[in-house]
Amino acid sequence: MDPIFIVGLVVAIALFFDFTNGFHDTANAMATPIATGALKPKVAVGIAALMNLAGAFLSTTVAKTISVDMINPGISITAQMVFAGLTGAILWNLTTWFLGLPSSSSHALFGGLIGSTMAYFGAAGVNFTKMIEKVFIPALFAPVVAGIVAFVATKVAYLITSRSQAERKAKDISTGRQKFKVGQIFSSSLVALSHGTNDAQKTMGVITLVLVAGGVQADGSHVEIWVVLAAALAIALGTYAGGWRIIKTLGTGLSEIRPPQGFAAEVSTGVTILASSKFGFALSTTQVASGSVIGVGLGRKGGVVRWNKAGQIFVGWLLTLPAAGLVGAASAYLTMQGDWGLIVDGILTAAVAAAIFTISRRNKINSTNLLSEVEGASEVVLSARQIKANAKAAKKAEAKAKKKSKKKGKK
Amino acid sequence: MVNIDWQAFITVFASAIGFTTLIVACFSLGVRFLTTAQNSAPKARKGNSKAQQVESLNLVGAYLLFAVCLSALAYGIWLIIPFVSH
Repeated sequence: MDPIFIVGLVVAIALFFDFTNGFHDTANAMATPIATGALKPKVAVGIAALMNLAGAFLSTTVAKTISVDMINPGISITAQMVFAGLTGAILWNLTTWFLGLPSSSSHALFGGLIGSTMAYFGAAGVNFTKMIEKVFIPALFAPVVAGIVAFVATKVAYLITSRSQAERKAKDISTGRQKFKVGQIFSSSLVALSHGTNDAQKTMGVITLVLVAGGVQADGSHVEIWVVLAAALAIALGTYAGGWRIIKTLGTGLSEIRPPQGFAAEVSTGVTILASSKFGFALSTTQVASGSVIGVGLGRKGGVVRWNKAGQIFVGWLLTLPAAGLVGAASAYLTMQGDWGLIVDGILTAAVAAAIFTISRRNKINSTNLLSEVEGASEVVLSARQIKANAKAAKKAEAKAKKKSKKKGKK
Repeated sequence: MVNIDWQAFITVFASAIGFTTLIVACFSLGVRFLTTAQNSAPKARKGNSKAQQVESLNLVGAYLLFAVCLSALAYGIWLIIPFVSH
């Protein structure tokens, strides 16, 4: 088969991965502002999409090719290997999205590539020590660091804005904590921008790698402008599509978040990510964001963290690399069978992806029913206050409906 | 051997907790001042000179603190955009 055709196929699937990366990670920045009502769901994903688009354009000057430290340097990566690896990453991303679990898209990408490398070259192709250093250790550290930082930040925010009962009664003073919503708009946008600079770059790196391997591009010293454009658009579109299931888990499934907590969580996430990239201790944005939410949940008096949900998420993180790796390896065996194998692999991936989308429609979660009581992949426990509010809203709607029907009757 | 860069880890941890606490504290204090100012606004409008003073002092404090937060935001953007910070 024409090598250009294979390269084209890999570019297409890389862009699809970029899309899933976008909608999988919308929640990192936007789950908390949506949960506190700082931003309307559609507006939130719109801002996140714009930030990701901008971030994708801003980032291209630094990293040119993806560095997969976990694959031994002697191995020359082929387009087929990348293709197989991407299918693993995509299918794991879609599975975790379906389950409403925030998990690292980068780890899924690494897992897929490692799996396909192992299928082609055996265990010798993979540097397991690096794998522990780059994936498992950060997975333990990220939530702990972000959690502690967010916990302290929440305590500080509540302490500073607290008013004594006497003060409130005597002067009719509110705490003004709703004002944190304004801060949330800025803090969540910053998290989205940093996501764009980090993640779109990975897809650009993968595409460039394949273009070089396929002989379309002479060397990996630059990223073609169309690659930048395509990757930026794919991640922005994915972000705008919104991974509502994950937004639900992170925004309401782990803990009930109020504006000061939301602000504290976003600042913790943003600062921890920036510090980790500045001082060279890479942490996953998703894992940091999840840790922040748990931290702010613990930081508010009366705040509750649903640890069973947190446990599920953590198990998801541990499974990300091996699961994406297994699919990547299976795909790699298919691609080894020749060109027909590659095409069958592509069709299979598309079919499984379509199946996941179809099944997900049975309990659809989107911008409209996101914060209401619906049975979803991530079960949400409502607080007494929310239940009361829901009941009130339902009554109002009923009364309205009655009025309408009465009017109709009169006519 | 698995090699953990403890120094980098501690630097990340310390700077994250330091900067986050600073930013959140500034914003929270700003919120507190702004709320106090808004609460004394009705009296200030009626001509109560003490309330007027409370209102303006708190407003100035709040705006200063929000300015600190905005500059932290600007620093964050500066760090994110590679061709500016490298």
